[in-house]
Amino acid sequence: MKKDKLVIPDHNTLFATDPYVKQREGKKAFEAPCSEQETAEALAYSKSAEYKDKNFARTSLVVNPHKACQPLGALMAALGFEMTLPFIHGSQGCTAYFRSHLSRHFKEPTPAVSSSMTEDGAVFGGMANLIDGLENSVALYKPAMVAVSTTCMAEVIGDDLQAFISNARQKGAISEELPVPYANTPSFSGSHITGYDAMLKSIISTLYTRSGIEAAPGSGEGTGEKLNIILGFEPYTGNFAEMRKIMAAFDTAYTFLGDHSGNFDSPATGEYSYYYGGTKLDDVPKAAYALGTLSLQKYAVKKTLEYIGGTWRQQTVGLSAPIGITATDRLLEAISELTGLPVPAELTEERGRVVDALTDSHPYLHGKRVALVGDPDLLIGLVQFCLDTGMEPVHIVCSNGDNGFKEEVEALLASSPFGAGATVYIGNDLWHMRSLLIGEPVDLAVGSSHLKFAAKDAGVPLIRVGFPVFDRHHLHRYPLIGYQGALNLLTTIVNTVLEGLDEQASGFNHDLVR
Amino acid sequence: MRQIAFYGKGGIGKSTTSQNTLAQLATKFGQEIMIVGCDPKADSTRLILNTKAQNSVLQLAAERGTVEDLELEEVVQKGFGDILNVECGGPEPGVGCAGRGIITAINFLEQQGAYEGLDFVSYDVLGDVVCGGFAMPIRENKAQEIYIVCSGEMMAMYAANNIARGILKYANSGGVRLGGLICNSRNTDREDELIMELARRLNTQMIHFVPRDNVVQHAELRRMTVAQYNPEHQQAKEYEILAEKILNNKMMTIPTPITMEELEELLMEFGVIEDEAAAIQKLQASGQ
Amino acid sequence: MGLDIEANEQLIGEILKAYPEKARKDRQKHFQVNTPESINSCTCTLKSNMKSRPGVMTIRGCAYAGSKGVVWGPIKDMVHISHGPVGCGQYSWGTRRNYANGMLGIDNFTAMQVTSDFQETDIVFGGDKKLEVICREIKEMFPLAKGISIQSECPVGLIGDDIEAVSKKMAAELGIPIIPVRCEGFRGVSQSLGHHIANDAIRDFIMGKRELAETGPYDINIIGDYNIGGDAWASRILLEEMGLRVIAQWSGDGTINELAIAHKAKLNLIHCHRSMNYMVTTMEKEYGIPWLEYNFFGPTKTAESLRKIAALFDEHIQENCEKVIAKYEAEMNAIIHKYKPRLEGKKVMLLIGGLRARHTLGAYEDLGMEVVATGYEFAHKDDYEKTFPEMKEGSIIMDDATAYELEELAQRLDIDLMGSGVKEKYVYHKMGVPFRQMHSWDYSGPYHGYDGFKIFAKDMDMTVNSPVWTLLKPGKSGLRHKEGAGL
Repeated sequence: MKKDKLVIPDHNTLFATDPYVKQREGKKAFEAPCSEQETAEALAYSKSAEYKDKNFARTSLVVNPHKACQPLGALMAALGFEMTLPFIHGSQGCTAYFRSHLSRHFKEPTPAVSSSMTEDGAVFGGMANLIDGLENSVALYKPAMVAVSTTCMAEVIGDDLQAFISNARQKGAISEELPVPYANTPSFSGSHITGYDAMLKSIISTLYTRSGIEAAPGSGEGTGEKLNIILGFEPYTGNFAEMRKIMAAFDTAYTFLGDHSGNFDSPATGEYSYYYGGTKLDDVPKAAYALGTLSLQKYAVKKTLEYIGGTWRQQTVGLSAPIGITATDRLLEAISELTGLPVPAELTEERGRVVDALTDSHPYLHGKRVALVGDPDLLIGLVQFCLDTGMEPVHIVCSNGDNGFKEEVEALLASSPFGAGATVYIGNDLWHMRSLLIGEPVDLAVGSSHLKFAAKDAGVPLIRVGFPVFDRHHLHRYPLIGYQGALNLLTTIVNTVLEGLDEQASGFNHDLVR
Repeated sequence: MRQIAFYGKGGIGKSTTSQNTLAQLATKFGQEIMIVGCDPKADSTRLILNTKAQNSVLQLAAERGTVEDLELEEVVQKGFGDILNVECGGPEPGVGCAGRGIITAINFLEQQGAYEGLDFVSYDVLGDVVCGGFAMPIRENKAQEIYIVCSGEMMAMYAANNIARGILKYANSGGVRLGGLICNSRNTDREDELIMELARRLNTQMIHFVPRDNVVQHAELRRMTVAQYNPEHQQAKEYEILAEKILNNKMMTIPTPITMEELEELLMEFGVIEDEAAAIQKLQASGQ
Repeated sequence: MGLDIEANEQLIGEILKAYPEKARKDRQKHFQVNTPESINSCTCTLKSNMKSRPGVMTIRGCAYAGSKGVVWGPIKDMVHISHGPVGCGQYSWGTRRNYANGMLGIDNFTAMQVTSDFQETDIVFGGDKKLEVICREIKEMFPLAKGISIQSECPVGLIGDDIEAVSKKMAAELGIPIIPVRCEGFRGVSQSLGHHIANDAIRDFIMGKRELAETGPYDINIIGDYNIGGDAWASRILLEEMGLRVIAQWSGDGTINELAIAHKAKLNLIHCHRSMNYMVTTMEKEYGIPWLEYNFFGPTKTAESLRKIAALFDEHIQENCEKVIAKYEAEMNAIIHKYKPRLEGKKVMLLIGGLRARHTLGAYEDLGMEVVATGYEFAHKDDYEKTFPEMKEGSIIMDDATAYELEELAQRLDIDLMGSGVKEKYVYHKMGVPFRQMHSWDYSGPYHGYDGFKIFAKDMDMTVNSPVWTLLKPGKSGLRHKEGAGL
């Protein structure tokens, strides 16, 4: 192998070579580029306080937002159920985008079909497309359930999914037996988490209604389970594994309402199946017998929890991502309260080990100023983790947070001296975050890959957490929640800090032991 | 609770008829009613509220930035006969999407539980069913009975037939039915017979023939229904009869819209339009 | 399964049996097995550029993807507004790897997501007023932006916003070109109409609008190279080495000035014919600029193309051309010497956009690989006509193939390498079929030119011969790499 070693420079190195540097300079003759001075001035201006004020005065322009649109979430919700094919009614490009987006994050296939509406569909409505689409997709991909959501095109022209689906049954394009839950998911309201909620609620309510089962909370001895668990718009397949571990320790039966960890972490065996894992369809109506429902996200599943609390008359507990020791304690307490079971000793022991790790690392975390970006429930978990460990949140940006979220985070921050320096921004974007990071520097930025641009401009290391993470591999396969999740996040953060120390070391302090 | 909707060609007197009838239904029959105006002009409730126009859901949503920031109390107003009123509102003509506006507003009302404790919700819908949004009120779990306001004029009947076609589309999948045609008289010849015949062909009834009377305009100028302006007038009685008929209406049908040719024949039969030969003759006679 | 015409026709028929009747009849028209007649006379009976069947899992995108994602997005000194709801811009943000020099957010706006983030009220009341404000705010936030393009998303067209009027008004007010592009996703049947619409917008608003101080006899344009992973740079360097002067690069690493001065060139070189042929034919008609389609994938096609280009110029250029080819010959031989033995006879299937499904064939052949089936997402008849002669007899040509069809074909043809997009990639990983993502070069590249071919060869070898494939348990569809893996 060695003797025919060829040097092959790639895109990372090739363009730094002389001929290409010359080419780059030469090309400017035709670019009518800005002068170096202009560019330098504009760069300096973009980092000024004046610019920051103008940036925050924007009323309409959105630059680098941290949210996606509803049907993306609906697609994820659909893939949380056994043999379910996500079907997106509207223009076909949307579906291509959702599939690519999710595949880039999970590094997994994302099966989904579109009704491929075109200009005539815009004029005459999309019924024919929906009916043909159902017939074709069922023939090819043999799903046990088709979950229909909508793009903004179908929403603007006002297509009536209920009527269309019932017409598809009448025409014999699909059988009466095939459940086809549908959700209206207009991309011009809410965000991906709203769409997740709408689809989850539709799936649960459709399967429940079709079953004819009468909700009877807590009666489920033998047939149902004690507890239903919702993870929500969950970018971490590892979090499902962690919840399984926790529930196994409690030694109690439970049902995940929506579990896409099978589809987004399937094995390479030499054979591909369109469907992996997911909540069994038969288990959904039986979930109405459970004592209660516990959700690890609440802003992401508002309507679903309302439904379960209302129609199923169940006790519901909506937490936000249980990240860190305090939040995991609360999670275990909630499970204990809902099931009447004590917190298992093995989890208490695990807690002890992770706390031990935190005590080892605290000198490197204490007082570190951090900026946070993410979905509402994730941010609450991350803020709690910071307060647990003596890190100080400074900038908290949530593009898809509402006032209720803001109040909750502010109350959480007010509960700790480490939260005193933080400001919460809702409806803002990552271009705002850029100004914040430059104007009031922090030690660490925590958020998705999309934060990498602002973090780079501000020279802040980025801890990749949340959705989407496109430019690092496999992070989502490890849990972020539970005591194990706390250890994982701690490890990433502390080692990023330590690497920074090595990089910045001037010589004498290139320490062997830290 | 019954959800009903009034459809009809623009300018036919749909809002006037519906408000006058609903006012009777509220005052004489003690029904709890909410009117949901689904015309972007937002003029479906002014006779009940005695105002020019009320704040619409979409107008307030536009001011606040999003419909989620609205409270129900801000958009529901009580008027004559304790009728509750909501206007969906919508954009100026020629911009945006009025149909989507109706979807947005009705979703908002449902999510906020606006219909709790009512006997009737009545949707007043613009002209023809022009796009999916305007069909929103006749979808599953919304209006179950449709009343088409029409008259003996050609365009009104043409629109009525089109609306019947829209209802048919949704009748098979959902539960929407046609409750009848309301003839709001324009004093054309044999108008009652004509509408009864149209009703028969559409597989429905002419539920009532509302004669023409100036008192309606007089009341309207004062932004009132006849029930409020001159409750003793015979015209008030007419609306009362219509209200009672709607209250007790049992004839809910799936319409059978007719073809354009059939409609034209019908109109010729009743002399509303002439056949080509007669029309040309007439033209030549007047041209001399 | 080899390149047997009859067997492959039968195979296609069997695969299509899974469809309901109506869809099956339609899908049948999108396949053709290459015969001596189709090779020689380019007879194309295959249907293309037609609507995808609903519900079949097409891999196509939309007109917006064709305009914002492909043609306009790479113009680096303009701000491109994804006008409508937040999603489209979010999903196409920085994922295509059309590299551009410059400082992001200062004088380069490519890997950014600028959107009007439509809300319910914008749909109901229209978005024109908001768009005006957005244009002003862009000028404030990005003072060095040389122009703005408005990339319409579906709702904009449905609610009837007048973005043309807003563009005109704001261009006058702000003193920079503002270009409305009607690329709503429901228009057309794929990305293709988006390319056309984007081309028309360039023609109507920018083409021919500026002058070039000095022109020369060797002035040319690179058209239809989006600089994926630096492709255009690896192409430009050869043309410049040959003594030609590239005055405009459309649109990878391109600028608004290059769009405006390109009409001064003596020759248009077009790489992605599908997405920019409208511009070269327009410039030919309006300015009499001849154009030439070229192919810089693999040394054989690169040398062929360089000679074809040189032939349109004088002896001086022709001599240079030979020198350039000769200069890289040793390097190319070394690459082929190293990789060909490891890749020889490997069977490849491709399903890519509108060009690479035929343009990369030569590069695979240089490595001794055999493309047994190829197809496009959104090509037109002329693209297919150019494809038949390039493919072997008995090979399968397909249009807008669905996920199901591709997976069936991959198994039945027992391929060694699949080249398609990110939506397809992980499916093949499960199946144990080596896969390269051929839209963004799987985060590698460039693949154009001589420098690009080295990387191409290395990448194909790395993928086909990775030992990871041997770790899969053999299933029904089988372990693909019985021998020779991990060389």
